[in-house]
Amino acid sequence: MSKNKRSRAERRERDKAAAARRRRPDWMLVSAMMLFFFSAFLLISLHGEIREDGFVLAAVVPLMIYIATMWMPRFFPADKLLLAIANFLCALGVLVLYVTDRGAGTSRGVQQAMYYGVGILAMLVCILLVRYIQNWHFLIKVVMLGSAALMVLPLAIGTEQNGATNWIVIGGTSLQPSEMVKMALLLILGWYMSRHQFWPWFIFAGFCLLTLMLQKDLGTALIYYATTLFLFWGTTGNLPLTGLGMMGGCGAAVLGYRMFAHVKKRVAIWKNPWLYYETSGYQMVQALMAIASGGLFGVGLGLGSPRVIPVYFSDAIFAVICEQFGILFGVLVLVMYVILILRGASIAAGARHSFHAIIAMGATVMLGVQTFVIIGGVMKLIPLTGVTMPFVSYGGTSLVSCMGLIGLIQGVASVNQDDLAYDYEISRSMQDTFGMPNAEDY
Amino acid sequence: MKQQRLRFRFLTLITIAMLIISGAYGLYSVSAYGNRWVSSARNTRYRSARSQVVPGDILDRNGVVVASSDENGKRTYQSNTLSRSSMVHLLGDTEGNVANGIESFQANYLLGFETSLNERVNALLDGVQRKGDTVVITADSRLQTEIVEIFLNTSQTRGKCGAAVVMNYKTGEVLAMVSLPVYDPQNITDAIRNSSQHPYWNRALQSLMPPGSTFKIITAVAALENLANAQNAVYTCTGATQVMDEHLITDYGNEQHGEISLAKAFRVSCNNAFAQTALVIGDSALRKTAENFGFNDNFLFRDLVVENSRYPTTNRNSFEIAWSGVGQSQVAVTPLHLCMVSAAIANEGVMMEPRLLSRVQSPAGTVRTRTSSRVYRTACSKETAQIIDGYMKDVVKNGTGTRAKVDGLTIAGKTGSAEGSSNGVDVTHAWFTGYIDDDRYPYAVSVLVEEGGTGGSVAAPVAQQIFTYLKQHY
Repeated sequence: MSKNKRSRAERRERDKAAAARRRRPDWMLVSAMMLFFFSAFLLISLHGEIREDGFVLAAVVPLMIYIATMWMPRFFPADKLLLAIANFLCALGVLVLYVTDRGAGTSRGVQQAMYYGVGILAMLVCILLVRYIQNWHFLIKVVMLGSAALMVLPLAIGTEQNGATNWIVIGGTSLQPSEMVKMALLLILGWYMSRHQFWPWFIFAGFCLLTLMLQKDLGTALIYYATTLFLFWGTTGNLPLTGLGMMGGCGAAVLGYRMFAHVKKRVAIWKNPWLYYETSGYQMVQALMAIASGGLFGVGLGLGSPRVIPVYFSDAIFAVICEQFGILFGVLVLVMYVILILRGASIAAGARHSFHAIIAMGATVMLGVQTFVIIGGVMKLIPLTGVTMPFVSYGGTSLVSCMGLIGLIQGVASVNQDDLAYDYEISRSMQDTFGMPNAEDY
Repeated sequence: MKQQRLRFRFLTLITIAMLIISGAYGLYSVSAYGNRWVSSARNTRYRSARSQVVPGDILDRNGVVVASSDENGKRTYQSNTLSRSSMVHLLGDTEGNVANGIESFQANYLLGFETSLNERVNALLDGVQRKGDTVVITADSRLQTEIVEIFLNTSQTRGKCGAAVVMNYKTGEVLAMVSLPVYDPQNITDAIRNSSQHPYWNRALQSLMPPGSTFKIITAVAALENLANAQNAVYTCTGATQVMDEHLITDYGNEQHGEISLAKAFRVSCNNAFAQTALVIGDSALRKTAENFGFNDNFLFRDLVVENSRYPTTNRNSFEIAWSGVGQSQVAVTPLHLCMVSAAIANEGVMMEPRLLSRVQSPAGTVRTRTSSRVYRTACSKETAQIIDGYMKDVVKNGTGTRAKVDGLTIAGKTGSAEGSSNGVDVTHAWFTGYIDDDRYPYAVSVLVEEGGTGGSVAAPVAQQIFTYLKQHY
């Protein structure tokens, strides 16, 4: 009798706790996201020809969102808002790619969902790296050599795509080494900059920029360059040298413009795409038309004609989003990137070690600059370069590297949380032992 | 570490600012140019929409159906050949032959892109094919037909290329916009497609021509605004003014006007006096006045895509400046913009934005949007406009524009005979722009007859017949 009573009381307690958990903002946000993608995939699968892979995605994508944002943080502290935004953008990419697949005979959506899974794993690996490896003395040299070798690889065995030689094919899968080296670059910059050693990171960054220029991958070169310069100024505050670096960058841009025909063409298209409508300006013009055709609220999921835009799945995916969901949603996506940057910056500000602050800030700036380069390009604010839109664009390497960057930031966030908890613990024990009000008095 | 944190905060601000700027720029360019991008003939999206939606009707200001769709979704126009031909440039077509007509520029309404979700669902439930919105334009189909008839029935203008624009100078409503030659939209022959006169071209909006003496309106405004006693200044016209030693500014037919005031120079259209005025005012002040009237501006009107008028911005020698004062030397204007110039004088210096869209109705008949009048810019002061108004009335009363006179109406106007060249041969384009100074008929008109001869003898009579029609029918 009494046992029964107790179990009933226990159950009531448990229900109460579960209800309280459901009312928490993080759970409400994530469940709204899951519902959004579940219904979107379901609607798309039921519309017109019924396809099974849509039902599978309707179950798998929300599940992956749950695992990455709610389940994984059970094992170490994490910033759930940052996680939620990154996962929303990834899932949005899967959705848009799946929608544009319909009727085209491609299966980029399903592939992207698999890359998304790999991306979550990459994020986990990066979190663990930052969280549990404190001593990089030897490891950083291995990372440096390995990434230098990776950067050179496309020049040796690479294939050319859209004027740039930045791909290698290994065992049937194509990889973009410059995407993977992004994380290595941040680790190297963070390690040496925090120890005030100039030459190691400078030589490595210069080497990366040189190989990127040789691969004619100017969009990625711009991202590497801007991140390095930003971090250099941020850590040292050395204005003369930063100015020198800026001038060097401008010189390199002019040199690139003079040397490469495809850069000249891009600039000409940027000035007036309508003049080159029949040839090289076609993509830009179609992207602008798509953005304008969507209007404020879009033509609707799966409607419109996104596939007339060349490379709609990668460079121009923002135009597809604007056409289908409307420019208002496009602006909201931009706002999500802004929040992501704000969260990343606040995590960097909360870091106790310079190394951690630099890698968190570097990953944040890198994602921000990349977003600017591609969205500014699609909006015709700057010349369009073949950079992917972080998290959203089709492409395994790109998605995995972006999730890796999020992993670096999350790793720092988890260390910050541990440090805070440790402080709290100390102040508690101080209080208990000496009756001190708190640790701040010291 | 503290310094570093501060700098990192600054870096965050820069990164966020970059994203906000690209978003703001995107919003700005879509709101400013979006309609132009969407209505581009290169946009394939509307082509697929046309197979699913019955395009809506287009009505003129009197409710006359000027474009409709038959049961197969094919576009039909008025039954009278001349009537439907006269509307061909204004309406445009769906193939992209004529740029930015109503059919393409208002396609989002005509193809029902603006219908609400509620209406779409109702159409789906009722099982009827969706129909686009009805677009009501400000133009008058009968006036359009009349203008084409005037051009065809006058011996001096028959077979010539040209354009005429009629607009209400108080509201900016475009009542007529005709481009010659016209063609029958329901019977397009190879002769039309291959004609050297380019019948697809909407000359009222796309034909950039030297304004010739009609530009003296702007030079006179510049003189009144920049020179202390412009009205009392006396110029000497010997038939040819020497500028830069050897170059000569001559009058049409080398006429000599002797001692001449600005008012008289305007009336008889004396090039020498205006060339001298332009040199006294100076290039930058004259350019500034021209820019006040909309020259060199990127026209972003809501309903019309107009070629941008030009006043040269590069440093030039005094010979070129002198010629610019009389509307030559790389100064270029479209018939619609010239109509806006005299409309601004008529409207006490306030230039209204030209508009072609009156309202949009849903298939059920409820009004979806109604466009309102909007001031485009203030071109000159009220006092200056009143003085120029007097000058322009003088032109029609006893100057070069007497052939635009209509009994019982006060007409103001300015003629122009613009020198141009066609295939290496010197030609003269005839211009007339003017307005009726009467509250019952607040209409401004511009007429261009390409290679027509002098404005006073060719363009003014056309304007006179348009004024007469307006008096009789409005």
